Parts: sequence; C-alpha cells; structure tokens
Amino acid sequence: MSEIVLKVEDLHTSFFTRSGEFRAVDGVSFHVREAETFGLVGESACGKTVTGLSILRLLPEPAGKIVSGKITLDGTNILELSKKEMRAYRGAMISMILQDPMTSLNPVYTVGNQIAEPVRQHQRIQDKNMVEEKVISALRLLRIPAPERRLQDYPFQMSGGMRQRVVGSIAMSCYPRLLIADEPTTALDATIQAQYIALFKDVQKETDVAIIFITHDFGVVANMCHRVGVMYAGKIVETAATSTIFKAPRHPYTNALIHSVPRLDRKDDRLYSIEGQPPSLLNLPPGCRFAPRCPDVMDICNEQQPQEVEISEGHSVSCWKVK
Amino acid sequence: MPEKASDSETTARPVVSGLSRRARIMRRLTFIVPVTILSLMIIMAIFADLAWLGLPDVGLAPYDPVKMSLPDRLMPPFWDEEGSTEHLLGTDKMGRDILSRLIFGARISLSVSLLVILITSFVGTVLGILGGYLGGRTEAFLMRITDISLAFPPILVAMLLAVSMGPSFVTVVLAISLLGWAAYARLIRGETLRLRQMDFVAQARIIGASPLRIMLRHIFPNVINPLIIIMTLQIGLLIITEASLSFLGVGIPPPAPSWGNMINDGRNLVDTAWWISTFPGIAIALVVMSGNFFGDWLRDKLDPRLRQL
Repeated sequence: MSEIVLKVEDLHTSFFTRSGEFRAVDGVSFHVREAETFGLVGESACGKTVTGLSILRLLPEPAGKIVSGKITLDGTNILELSKKEMRAYRGAMISMILQDPMTSLNPVYTVGNQIAEPVRQHQRIQDKNMVEEKVISALRLLRIPAPERRLQDYPFQMSGGMRQRVVGSIAMSCYPRLLIADEPTTALDATIQAQYIALFKDVQKETDVAIIFITHDFGVVANMCHRVGVMYAGKIVETAATSTIFKAPRHPYTNALIHSVPRLDRKDDRLYSIEGQPPSLLNLPPGCRFAPRCPDVMDICNEQQPQEVEISEGHSVSCWKVK
Repeated sequence: MPEKASDSETTARPVVSGLSRRARIMRRLTFIVPVTILSLMIIMAIFADLAWLGLPDVGLAPYDPVKMSLPDRLMPPFWDEEGSTEHLLGTDKMGRDILSRLIFGARISLSVSLLVILITSFVGTVLGILGGYLGGRTEAFLMRITDISLAFPPILVAMLLAVSMGPSFVTVVLAISLLGWAAYARLIRGETLRLRQMDFVAQARIIGASPLRIMLRHIFPNVINPLIIIMTLQIGLLIITEASLSFLGVGIPPPAPSWGNMINDGRNLVDTAWWISTFPGIAIALVVMSGNFFGDWLRDKLDPRLRQL
C-alpha cells in the first residue's frame, strides 16, 4: 500500500467565545495515503471545515484554537512548526480549495498573476519565463483550454466553472502533497460538478496528491472518494471504504444519512429525514451525541460515550450497538 | 468559454444607455464642467509664473502679487466706469492687482490641499489597513485614537498649532493634517474589515502569504477606489479649511496671497470695494463645487456597488 501522507490523531479544536467553549472538533483521528481521496461527510456545522482549517492551522483567531492532538504530514508534526515554517508549508505542501469560486479570486489581478504568486513565493523562481511556464503547466493540469491566452484574463471574464479550475490551479501550482477540498463543487451546477470531479480524479492520477474531500453530498462521495469518514457533532462516527459505507453502514447515523439521499431505483412516498437537531456544541450530552435522534437508542447510549471499534480492516465504528 | 465572457459584457452595458438622453447629457456635464474648472485652476497654479523654470518675468499673472502701488489703490474691475483694463479685476487697498493675487493664490491654496491630501491619505490608509486587518488590541488602540481625532474641532486645533508655531505654509499643512487622517483611517478600516472576510484573502493565507504581503498585495489594491473617491471629495473641504484659517489670520501669512487671506483683506471694505473679497470667494466656491461634483462622478464610476444600482 502507498505511503501515508497525513495522519490526524485525536484532534481537539475549540472556539472560545463569550458564551463558552464550542468543541467544534472533538477527538478526530484519520489518515490519508498518497493518491487517495478521503471523504469527510456530515451535515452543516459538524466540524468538517474546522478539521480542514486545523490541518492548515488557519483557524479564525483569536477564538479558534487547537486544544490537543497531533497532525503529522510526511512524518513532521505540523503543530510544532513555527508560524514562519508553517507559512512555507501552506501552498507548497498543503493546499486548500474553498467553496465559492466567485469570491476566492482577487478581482484586481489577472489569473496568471494569481497563480504565479505561490510559485514565486515557494519555489523562489524570479525568472519571468520560468514562472510563466509553471503557471501554464498549472493551468494545463486543470485542463483549462488555451492557457497561454487565459493568463491575461481577469476573474470577472470567466465563468464559475472556469474560475473554480483556476482556484484549483493555484492550489496545485506547487504540487502539494495534500489537498483539502472544502465542498468545491457546491457552488457549481450539476453538469459542471461532474466535470470537476472527473477532472480531480485525473489530477490525482498525474500528481499522486492526497485529497481530503469535504462534502455533505453522498453522490459526490460515491464518485470521488476511496474512503469516507462520517462526522457528527465534532466526532468521526464511522470510517470505512466507500463501497462498505454504501453496502453495509454500521452506524445508525450513516445509515440515516444514506437513506435520506433520494434514489431513482426505489419508489418512496416521502424522503426519509432524521428527526431532531444536532446537539449544541456548547453543552454536549454525556453519552453518544447521536443518542437523542437515534432510532436504535439503548440505555447505555445516554450515559457513556461509545469507543471506536474496528469491526473489519479499515472499518471503524463508534456505536454501542456494534460489538 | 470565450463566448461566455463576451456575453456577460454585453449584458452589463445597457444600464447606462437605459438613461434618457437628457439625463445622459446632464451626467456628462457634471463631469466636463468640474474637470474643466479644476484643470484651469491647476494650470493657473502651475503657470502663475515660471520662476521654477528660471523665468520669473514670464507667466499668466500680469503683475507681481505682492507689489504695492499706492496710486492705483482700490481700483474697481475693468467694466466699472472708474476701472481700467490695466487691472482687469481691480486692485486692493494697497494697490496690488487682484487678478495676479488670485492666480498666485490658486498656487498656494491648491498646493496646501494637495500636500494635506497626500499626507492624510497615506497615514490614514496605513493605519486603517493595519487596524482592520490585524484586529485585536492594535485595532482597538488605533480606532480609539481615530475617534478622539474625529471628536476635536479641526479649526480650533489648527488655530492652536498655528498660534504656537507661528503662521507659515508648513504650519497650515501640518495643522490640517494633524486630524485629517482620521476620516481616511475610518473608511479604510471598514473596507479592510469587509475585505479580510473575503475568500480571496483566505486563499492568500492558504498559499502561505504573510500578513504584510496580504495587506500590501491583496487588501490595498482593493481599497484604492474608495480612497480616490474621498481624496477628491476632500479637495473642497480642504480649500475651505485653508481659507478659514487664513481668513482668521492663522493661515498663510501676508503678504503672500491665499484666497482666504484675500477675503480677509477686503472684509472691512465690502461695502465700498466689494471686488476684493468677492473674486476669491467665487474662486473658492468654484473649486469646492467642482471637487464635490467630480468626486461624486468618480464614485458613480468606480464603486461597483453603486454602479449596479
């Protein structure tokens, strides 16, 4: 099996606000291998994005803090790096794509100029032609047609799908080891979404980049991810290979999520939905966080947190039902 | 994809042509008239004489602005029966040519405004971006100073400074600049607060840009538009402030002409020699109005949020 690029161990990230400590990420562990895509799935505000930002160490300051845990990239614990060393990692070793392509490009610079920024900064190339070459190859990597002409374009001259490719080019321009994609397809329409996902599979094949794909869309997961971690209220409740998740989900939350995806091959009168709301991160229940909404709840679920159990290779679940 | 880009361009255009013909002419006029007036004033200021080219005897001003000639005192403008074409706009109580003083006054009044604008916009932009981007204590500290500066009456502070340092060109510039930066700092900080929430700033952090780099490269270019807009809108305010200081006798010291101290010169003679105060008054009004109109026009042109309305 290929090398492990990123390993996150027992990560705790909190936001300290006037009303108390929000435990946005509460003991998350997972790893991603070279040329592998790991999906982080869950509903809004379950801690997916905060996990991604923790890996980049770009939490909104001063409220957000990594409380404990270990994040290892190629053997280096990045939580021990100085601010300056961390800046040298960002863009060069770890990169991220944000959700909305309409706002993630600076309106006053040309596309070429914006892709050149990380190249100049991290690879210390001053020669104009060399930089341009790198920029063009980054555009080409993301299959942007006629890259030589596109260099001089401003973001407003491009469509949403094209802009999101440019954002991808910026992220990939220094060939990072790890790419965090935070719902990069949410703002795109369905056909462009499919194109973008296919594109990323190609990019991964060419560069062996490890990808963390943050999404709430199980359709995207099925297309894109090799393995999946399902998050609920700051914890990963189930980790497994994508095919296992779909065929044999063991956690009731995973099961419920998959059931709430509309399907063409079944005739349902009403779409399944999970009752209730996720718990407030300010005062979490003492037991399993899903217990108040769980259809299979038992007495112990309300009292004690379930431990993670590996039920088969690469398939771990945190649920009292699973023994 | 290229077709798409041109598509969005053609759909963005018709907003302007949707205006009626009359409205379009008016809009054009509110640009042409103020720009013409401002350009004339600037040309007047630059070419009042050519001493800076080593030719003190050549220039637009017909006379030396400080040369007194008592036999010619209090001559009315040329269209008056007692006036003469030798002194087109008449002379003051010391026989100095009003037109020449007006032309040289433009030089002083405009250069005070320009210097003040440069100083205040620079200081205000630096402090505004620092405060807005860094946040926390830096922001709290800078913004309290800004609030305090905005709370002082500028004329009184300028008077205090002018009195303690003695009136001179430098004093006037410093006195007006001392509090003038606060308005810029306020606005730029607000813009920076908005910009730093934008995804492209997050994206810059993601690729490893340092805070200094983000402020210079990603925030600053995006605040230039509002910056230019208030810079032009400030022209009027500054001309008036300078004139007020000079009128009160704490501005540009006589005999050097500034529009403010020219009005002051004619203050006691308004009923007999109205022309001494009136012409500089008209000049001030023209520049102030032109500055404001031009500023408004620029705002409509440059501010994308207003453009869409």
